[in-house]
Amino acid sequence: MILSLSHVAFAFGDFRVLDDVSLDVPPKEIVGLIGPNGAGKSTLFAVTSGFEKPLAGTIMLDGRDITHDGPVARARAGLGRTFQVPREFRHLTVRENLLAAAPNQTGENLLPLFLSPRRVREEERALREKVADLIAFLNLTAVKDTPSGSLSGGQKKLLELGRVLMGDPKVILLDEPFAGVNPVLIDSLVDRIRELNAQGYSFLVIEHNLRALSDLCSTMHVMDRGAMIASGAPSAVLDDPKVQEAYMGGVL
Amino acid sequence: MTAYLIAMAIVALIYMLLTIGLNLQYGYTGLANFGHVGSFAIGAYITALITTNGGFAYVSLPASVLGAALVAWPVALLSKRLRTDYFAIATLAASETLRLAIIEEDWITNGVHGITSIPNMSVALGLDVDPNILILTLLIAANLLAVALITRMVKSPFGRTIEAIRDDEDAVRALGKEPATFKVKVFVIGAGLAGLAGAFYAHYFSYISPEQFLPLITFYVWMAMILGGTGSILGAVAGSLVLVLFLEGSRFVRDILPGVTEVEMASVRLFVVGMALVLLTLLRPQGLMGDFRKR
Ligand SMILES: Nc1ncnc2c1ncn2[C@@H]1O[C@H](COP(=O)(O)OP(=O)(O)O)[C@@H](O)[C@H]1O
Ligand SMILES: [Mg+2]
Repeated sequence: MILSLSHVAFAFGDFRVLDDVSLDVPPKEIVGLIGPNGAGKSTLFAVTSGFEKPLAGTIMLDGRDITHDGPVARARAGLGRTFQVPREFRHLTVRENLLAAAPNQTGENLLPLFLSPRRVREEERALREKVADLIAFLNLTAVKDTPSGSLSGGQKKLLELGRVLMGDPKVILLDEPFAGVNPVLIDSLVDRIRELNAQGYSFLVIEHNLRALSDLCSTMHVMDRGAMIASGAPSAVLDDPKVQEAYMGGVL
Repeated sequence: MTAYLIAMAIVALIYMLLTIGLNLQYGYTGLANFGHVGSFAIGAYITALITTNGGFAYVSLPASVLGAALVAWPVALLSKRLRTDYFAIATLAASETLRLAIIEEDWITNGVHGITSIPNMSVALGLDVDPNILILTLLIAANLLAVALITRMVKSPFGRTIEAIRDDEDAVRALGKEPATFKVKVFVIGAGLAGLAGAFYAHYFSYISPEQFLPLITFYVWMAMILGGTGSILGAVAGSLVLVLFLEGSRFVRDILPGVTEVEMASVRLFVVGMALVLLTLLRPQGLMGDFRKR
């Protein structure tokens, strides 16, 4: 398994948000995670990426126990994530956001910045080429020099995906990547995720757009009130009466 | 008249070093430092103590920079744990604690009486030239160097990352970069610049005492930064010039307001600068030199 959560529990104070949650992301697969609002999906991402500490359970990334690592160490170990509410660097342009996301830049250290300016310059040139390709891949060319704070919601989602890709992670967690994205853009985003998956990236995707998600993923998990209530192939999961009940017959 | 202009320029250039440092800390990195005057005081006292005991400025200038940077280091570590607002309070408390320590530890600092007869720049460097022209020249050189170094820093991958930290620390963490590493460096460098400013201040005024290092100085530097434009190095240059113009200009308010005591005058000056700040925020929210795409 590229990512494996076992028996994870978490609470905000006395308020139990995650209860014995287990979930696996096999290599090169796209796994879906759905559930009504407040089910604890985003909290599960926070615990998985190290922003919150679990009360119990273990988290393994590519065979390594990362349960006790902080968010920085987990990201360095190859765990990439986006946020439900986009967290773009709003004063930086799209291009600068992506450049800033590149790991281990020589020019981020002050001594080499002043002592080996040539090396910094060359690295920066290579990085700019990589970023230009990524901007084209994400269809953000028209806004590449726009401060990211003034992008549309959908463009911010694309930008966050781009930032994660700069780190070349082993697994990517996407929190509602299609929320607020216009339908045309959703199709292109779905294509992009498929392409990346074909290149070998694994994904865990939270999404309310069940049509787009069931198209994408091979396995789907359903959470309700902090617990996993169903797992399996998307069609089977969506037909499950427990799942229908959790959504109270509404969305499905 | 020339002497008056030189005096004003010297004060403006001292504020400029302070403002460039604060702008690196707050304007670029989002570190709300409300204790900047503390680093300024450390620089001034180190210079005063070394040069009144026979040391030369060749030693005291670097010692002031390093001393201020060194003392700032543990304070910078606080930024790992504290949110922006708490960090602001912690730095303010640190600078006031330092001022009280300077008052208390009078065996070394001479307490409230301060340190007198600090040699001027010419004596301290052993050069036979006009001390005011010398300090003016050195201040211009120091500011040019600071502008060049800090500009190189902010227009580099390092600068991109500190701006990202200012915009969203957790997003930086999610990318596998530790914001604290960058914040500590930035805070220490800003403090070093303030320490250098303090060294010049001590040589220029030849007398320093704890009451010259009140939080008011920190607030003046904030005003200069906001006037010029947060997140702009040239803004720091313009802002400190404008600040000193206002501070000096407000002296003449005294002619319009007869019967105002010296103590009340301090409040009047603060009021004048404050009003200018309010007007500017209304008319030009990005500051004099600020870039519109940034705040
Ligand atoms: N920072 C927080 N403090 C306290 N409670 C929170 C916090 N964040 C989320 N919650 C609560 O935890 C529960 C799960 O939230 P969340 O994980 O965001 O759900 P989902 O992403 O499935 O909609 C909700 O009841 C929410 O109100
Ligand atoms: Mg959520």
